[in-house]
Amino acid sequence: MSALLRYQAALLLRSQRALPPVILYAAFLGIGVQKGQPVLDSLGWAAAALLPVAAWLVRICATNEPSAARSCVAAVAGPERAHLACVTVALVAAVALGAVATVVVTFISDPTSADHRIRVSAARCGVAGLLAALACAFLGTAVGALTTRPLLRSPGRAVPALLICALLALVVTGSPARAAVSALVSGSQTGTVPVPVLPLAGAALLTAAATAVACALTSRR
Amino acid sequence: MGREVRERDRDREPARLRMEGVGRRYGRRGPWILRGVDLEVAPGSLIRIEGANGTGKSTLLRLLAGIDAPTEGRIHGRPRTAYVPERFPAALPFTAAEYLTHLGAVHGLSRPEAADAAGEWLERFGAADHARTPMSELSKGSSQKVAVAQALLAEPGLLVLDEAWTGLDALARGELDRAVAERTAAGGTVVFVDHDPRRLAGMPDVTYAVSEGALESRTGQGHPGADGPYVTVRAQGPHGPRTAEPPAEAVELAVSVEAVEGGDAHRFDVPESRSDALLRALLTARPPWHVLSVEPEAVRVRVPGPRTAQACETESSR
Repeated sequence: MSALLRYQAALLLRSQRALPPVILYAAFLGIGVQKGQPVLDSLGWAAAALLPVAAWLVRICATNEPSAARSCVAAVAGPERAHLACVTVALVAAVALGAVATVVVTFISDPTSADHRIRVSAARCGVAGLLAALACAFLGTAVGALTTRPLLRSPGRAVPALLICALLALVVTGSPARAAVSALVSGSQTGTVPVPVLPLAGAALLTAAATAVACALTSRR
Repeated sequence: MGREVRERDRDREPARLRMEGVGRRYGRRGPWILRGVDLEVAPGSLIRIEGANGTGKSTLLRLLAGIDAPTEGRIHGRPRTAYVPERFPAALPFTAAEYLTHLGAVHGLSRPEAADAAGEWLERFGAADHARTPMSELSKGSSQKVAVAQALLAEPGLLVLDEAWTGLDALARGELDRAVAERTAAGGTVVFVDHDPRRLAGMPDVTYAVSEGALESRTGQGHPGADGPYVTVRAQGPHGPRTAEPPAEAVELAVSVEAVEGGDAHRFDVPESRSDALLRALLTARPPWHVLSVEPEAVRVRVPGPRTAQACETESSR
């Protein structure tokens, strides 16, 4: 498995196809985050913006190889494991991106509540932001896994489906990503730092299920 | 008189690749491409799949290679598998050597082993100069060499070739023929499809035809030694004339094995494409055999036919 992961990671880095989503994420952060703003609000924004980026990264990893090359790897490692490696590399890339963003945002933001009256611990806010970012990276990965090969193969359907699902995952009540982000935002209003562990667990479970479905279908469709 | 030794000891390895009632269709309502396919493959055998275009040959190979799962039925006992597609578009952001090293590692080789094997196989297919060339700059033939090399470099137990010869130059085609003989000699299974009916003529143990979604056996049409150029190897066993039995691997490769009467040597007739593998088997046997002579077989009664063109092709490629 480690050889597969290394191959997929090298493919992602060398192909430079990861650049557009990374630039998009930087642009999101440039729009929504400014120096001296309340830290929890900015972290909430950074986490929410990570979700569509993670979904896009999964799409890139899953479609990065020509199908003949994918067949060669599938014969050696099994199509399920090959697809699992694609999704895992995308998830790791999204988590790394989210971790960097969380650290940067925590450093440049003002460690106070939304009205700048109550001080909060920057370190604890960083942890909360990291948990929320993880939840969004997981859920974005689930969205990506369900809206690309093998479930949706024509880009004409897959890309709109990815965008709509990513948006829904952020706004629908009961979505772990929405729960994690709104925990940060409401924590910012009351001046308390939340620990969004439950949304993270939910997102991880959903992602595991979505990935399992996608991997099981790779050789069947 | 000489002694014919032709039986193959098929039951040495317990794991056999088996397809049981395998069917495949794409989508939930699609037509059945294959249905009710039963196939049992002995280790060390070479299997040819024939059939007209669009009959499901490639689908069968993808099922055998484990790339696609059967819609119904089961496949058991698949060893470590490698697959060569007909076309290998090289839109990958690696050099040939980097790609092969990655694939070798996926096969389970260590990185240094994989890099060595990559260099060796590119050399064998005459593509050593392209090792540092980005895959996207390779010609169609050179990228097909990379596709073949990725399958061979880790000595898979099952090698699936879907028109793998297409696009290769004569030298590389001959090399692939030899590599196939080596794989089967080492106990690996090779399954292939090729549009050229002379491809590996005489070598397949079994030929199957796919038609109307079913698999028919054409065993007997091609058995080793039916055709193709031959080589006669004379070799001497380690401890005097009669005591030494020829190595089992060599016996398996040869069409006929005879003790030379009055002398202290054995005579092996072998299809030319397997001669290297036979010599390797003799020389690496424990204790090793001594090779006395290797000659093109002078006299052999053969049915003349269109397949003699194969001989010309193979010879000109040397």
